[in-house]
Amino acid sequence: MKRRGFIGALAGLSITAHANGVFAAALNKPPSMALPDLVASDRVLVVVNLQGGNDGLNTIVPHGMPAYYRYRPSIGIAPGDVLQIDRTIGFNPALASLKGMFDNGSVAIVQGAGYPAPDHSHFRSTEIWQTAAPEKYEHTGWLGRYLDESNLPETNLFNAVAVAPILPEVLASRRVDVPAIAGLGGYGLASDRNATQRSAFASLVRDDRVPFASPYLATVASIEDRAQRGSEELPKLVAGYKTSAAYPATAIGRSLALAAQMIGSNLGTRVIYVAHGSFDTHVAQRARQDVLLRGLGDALKAFYDDLAAHGNEKKTLTMTFSEFGRRVAENASRGTDHGTAAPMFLIGGGIKGGVYGEHPSLDALDNGDTRFTTDFRSVYATIVEKWFGRPSAGVIAGTYPTLPMLG
Amino acid sequence: MRYDAYMNAATTFRPPGSLPTAPLARYTGPWDVRLAAHLLRRAGFGGTLADRARFAANSMAVNVDALMNVGPANAGLPSPELIDTEYAGGELQRIRAMRMAETPAAPAGGDTALEVMRKMRGQMRRKQDVANVTWWLDRMIASTSPLQEKMTLFLHGNFATASNQKGIYGLDIIEQNQLMRSYALGNFVALTHAVARDRAMLKYLDNARSNRDHPNENFARELMELFTLGIGNYTEQDVRESARAFTGYTFQRRTGAFFMNERQHDDGRKTFLGKTGNFTGDDVIDIIFQQPASAALLARKLLEFFVYSDPEPQLVDDLAAVVRREKFELAPIMSTLLRSNVFYSERAYRALVKSPVEFVVGSYQLFGIEKTGPGVRDVLNRMGQVPFHPPSVKGWDGGASWLSTQTVLARENFASSLMTASSGAGGPLFEGLPPSAHVAAQRLVGTILLGDATPSATAKLAAYLDGGDTSLGGALSGENVDGRMRGAAYLTMAMPAYQLS
Repeated sequence: MKRRGFIGALAGLSITAHANGVFAAALNKPPSMALPDLVASDRVLVVVNLQGGNDGLNTIVPHGMPAYYRYRPSIGIAPGDVLQIDRTIGFNPALASLKGMFDNGSVAIVQGAGYPAPDHSHFRSTEIWQTAAPEKYEHTGWLGRYLDESNLPETNLFNAVAVAPILPEVLASRRVDVPAIAGLGGYGLASDRNATQRSAFASLVRDDRVPFASPYLATVASIEDRAQRGSEELPKLVAGYKTSAAYPATAIGRSLALAAQMIGSNLGTRVIYVAHGSFDTHVAQRARQDVLLRGLGDALKAFYDDLAAHGNEKKTLTMTFSEFGRRVAENASRGTDHGTAAPMFLIGGGIKGGVYGEHPSLDALDNGDTRFTTDFRSVYATIVEKWFGRPSAGVIAGTYPTLPMLG
Repeated sequence: MRYDAYMNAATTFRPPGSLPTAPLARYTGPWDVRLAAHLLRRAGFGGTLADRARFAANSMAVNVDALMNVGPANAGLPSPELIDTEYAGGELQRIRAMRMAETPAAPAGGDTALEVMRKMRGQMRRKQDVANVTWWLDRMIASTSPLQEKMTLFLHGNFATASNQKGIYGLDIIEQNQLMRSYALGNFVALTHAVARDRAMLKYLDNARSNRDHPNENFARELMELFTLGIGNYTEQDVRESARAFTGYTFQRRTGAFFMNERQHDDGRKTFLGKTGNFTGDDVIDIIFQQPASAALLARKLLEFFVYSDPEPQLVDDLAAVVRREKFELAPIMSTLLRSNVFYSERAYRALVKSPVEFVVGSYQLFGIEKTGPGVRDVLNRMGQVPFHPPSVKGWDGGASWLSTQTVLARENFASSLMTASSGAGGPLFEGLPPSAHVAAQRLVGTILLGDATPSATAKLAAYLDGGDTSLGGALSGENVDGRMRGAAYLTMAMPAYQLS
């Protein structure tokens, strides 16, 4: 679904008259740069949303910083347990799979990713990471804007896919419809009456004698139409794909397996969204976060094994993000409250593995929180410019330096 | 500043046109079956055909009076079947006793006694959850106080709490649900005080575990951000001070009753929203409701739930003034809203997306099916809304977020199953052979969509009824009428108008 662009497709029909001024102006403006991407156009970005606020300090552990153990007497990970990268930092042992991929040079860690004046609300901070607009309320996601700026074929029902029951804001776009597909099972109509149905509701929307003027009418019809056509086509398009990769039997395992299947079936999909969590570990953090991190690492390992077996690992870049890290000091419930900056992972796609950016200081906290060292919009700009080969101007407001891990 | 930026942002899905003059003044225009059905959809879930006929025959004022006249929260309808009676000396207590007495020896190749009991407990909790969801759905379908159930759903979304996580099971969520129901048309401030002491909420947002040395901010933050004020109307310092005030608010492990643990309560001085004192959590709530933002947030949420998405700032201000004047009493506020010009304006008509609960409950009512089954939980899950399982403490976003390719397929498949199940839809819609396919199509469009379809869409339905686009072919006849009508009813329910309230 795109939140506004559907109106554009119906230009000239009565429904357009209902669009308010700002809305109509935005739609009448042609795409600012309908250029093909500058680099190989079969590249795919997979974003993994670690929902709920993943604790960065127990993901990439600063075992060389004494303050870490002072702040976390019960949930700190002992130096001997940390999978060490160097004398300062290392992986949570639950991320052994990811550490293996890091040692092979296919994982980049971006330290201290965050943004100025961090918000501690799950919902607002999630919006900020998804829209890349901390200063204002933006209605499109940064990847939705990337889709808008790219010259993707309008007839393709799968230019981007959210492997989720509902569309995340990061893929909200003005011009490109993005399907939400929770899984292949259940994605389709139980009835064989599609043709009549599509034709009947198409006439309902396109006929100017429609007896009411709902602001949602055209959206509903557009989504229903694409849902029906997409659900007829998708199973056929991906049926030939076979895999022997050992995905864990978890939601994130199934989501990434479907992502690999879609990538391997060459649907022209440029962006895939998957979600994992909830990481909101206010209470008894160790047990819960370790299960989630192990699930993440094992699923990513299987995903890249699967991609590599089909020769797709170089064209697939994966990025993780979470709305915030967590408070440096543990709370009374052996958990942590909402915090700020945390590391991001970039995986595959021929990336130059290693550690980028500085770990935030634990000796100069801001009201108990770390201060970010890398603006997350630098990571986004790097992906838009170096991975997709496009100017980041129409996608990310402002100018952010790119990081040297790509291209 | 940020709040203003949000309110003035160019947003989507506000209806076209402009606000009527005197939007909250009493509507005195014409009354017909379409407006009667509109009122039933918004103040309830759509109602039965008999409800619709009654509402069409009565005046708007009589109908709203009837809606406002809600019975006691527990009257007339059964309580949920209790499988997991955590605080009532039931199965789980028995299992706890067994655990205390158990011997660790495991049978060869089998589960230990502890494992067996854990599995039993897990099964019971899942069964109870299905029973809870089914119970509420059946209650929504059958209740003679639809507004009470609708307001309960609204309040559940406002004070969103999810079951079967964070130690919330069985009676926890049902007791919270009964609390919401008892305040459905009561005082919102008093309800907020009660929610702060509610066991399910104390568990969900961790306040039960908060203590004076390490206050847990989860409840304190969401209380302001989501339940009462909205983001931008308080500082991080206010969150921290409020968390201190709520330390000690917990419950008795044995009985589940609220308990003020004075030893864990921080009774020191706090400065909260510009006031200083030795505040308790209840003081914090009272200070919150002195803020103008509290009335504005409630007004905006009510408008977005009952009238249309993205209401104009002027309309929010007008309703916020009513909220303040009525001191957060939901009955007079809702009475004003449900009689207002804006509520019956063309701009409000079909201007909301039906939530999955509205879609499912309304469909059952329309076709005269009085009970759901355990499968309804999965159906709702595929559509994106299971009562007692909001995706987060923010509740359900509603509006356009109900619509994705995945969720509209689930809606269409539910409609299909309702029309084809042997125990499914009945009623006068499917009785007798209509004189022509066109008359049949008009009857379906009239009954299911209140006529909200174009002549060409109705003609497509008629063509289907007469054998076009069907694999069997042949004109509508006494032999095929039942199947054809059910098939066409499904097609009608898949039309965009039926997704809209």
